Amino acid sequence: MNSTPRLLNRILIGILGLALLSAGILLMLLAAVPAVGAWWQAWSGGVWAGASQMLGAARFPGRQESWLWIVLALALILLTGLMVAWIAQQGKGRSDLLLAAEDPGGVPGDVRIGSGVAEQSLKEAFAERADLAGTSVATYDVRGEPALRIRLHPRPGVAPHLLAEDAAALVSALDSVVGRETPVLVHIAAGARTRFSRAERVR
Amino acid sequence: MSSVIERQNPADGHHRNAGALGRDGSVDMDRILHRETHSSRATAACIAAVLVILLSLYALLEAAVRAIGQPPWLIDPQTAAERIVALPDGMPPLLLGVIGAVVAAAGLFFFLSAILPGRRAKHLLDMPRVAVVVDDEVIASSLARRARLAANVTPEQVMVVVSQRQAIVNVRPTSGVPVSENAVREAVEDELRSMAPVPVPSVRVNLAETGVIGA
Repeated sequence: MNSTPRLLNRILIGILGLALLSAGILLMLLAAVPAVGAWWQAWSGGVWAGASQMLGAARFPGRQESWLWIVLALALILLTGLMVAWIAQQGKGRSDLLLAAEDPGGVPGDVRIGSGVAEQSLKEAFAERADLAGTSVATYDVRGEPALRIRLHPRPGVAPHLLAEDAAALVSALDSVVGRETPVLVHIAAGARTRFSRAERVR
Repeated sequence: MSSVIERQNPADGHHRNAGALGRDGSVDMDRILHRETHSSRATAACIAAVLVILLSLYALLEAAVRAIGQPPWLIDPQTAAERIVALPDGMPPLLLGVIGAVVAAAGLFFFLSAILPGRRAKHLLDMPRVAVVVDDEVIASSLARRARLAANVTPEQVMVVVSQRQAIVNVRPTSGVPVSENAVREAVEDELRSMAPVPVPSVRVNLAETGVIGA
């Protein structure tokens, strides 16, 4: 429902996983197989010799330290910034507007209905039900179109289909108020709140 | 897309919009349902990002310290690289193997969470106006209530496990009071029929051999 970049998550996690996996297997092989140790020392020794030659070539004139260290530091800052940006992408996509459309009538101007209208009226409608331990309603932006997510936390033993029918009835009432059908997802969820709440006695 | 079209043609925007919303709405709904029944891997992504951030901040510190010619904090990058090159030497093989195993296990966790489908334990309900996703735990608790009423036992004597294709109902009868397995099965199947989750799980009822005393 939210706009978490799922493909990006899979790709980046996969790359990190493969890198860690191969590093771990290499360490285990180094510990266990002597032949791998000899190969590793020869191969990585060559790589390190090349790298230190590059470091030596890139000195400040008249100073001992190489400016490649500064380049490396800048690259690491960039990497950190990219990672922070990646975390910031998770769970994004809430929307403020339930409806934004041009008025089809003769009056010039736009019609905008804030998402609070749907969220608060639906929450209020569910608030007095004894078979619910909690409700949350949120508006998300799904490919430019607003969509509602209604999350219901029923008490133990409540039949989900009856709850869903009531939710559908409330949503169609909301449709007639707003004048447009918004895509609605009803998520009947379990969680700590439902697990430890007491069951409804009279049913 | 539909709103863009609508804004460009205000004259017939109303009609066009109604048609486009119906088509777009169903496509969006399929997408929403797929996203709701599959994990987004946000937790693994955050762990991975924090790991990379911590590593690169440490490397940044050492590189910066090196760049301005100060003594290193923990280890000089050059010494670290030389030690890594000389690796099987200079470190007990057991420690090296254990570190390798831990790193490989963390890598396997990330790799598997990237390539596995990541289905969440949820079922869909078919409703005319809204799309409905139900956690399997809610279905299980509703089936447990029906099974409990059919078997006439306390809530503690019934345990229901719902998975994608199976609902397993475990009932421990009260000692001396017979419980009809068929009645329990009928009740649970009736509840599933009226609920109609997608896909419908098949019901298996297990009656425990031993009873509960004093329930």
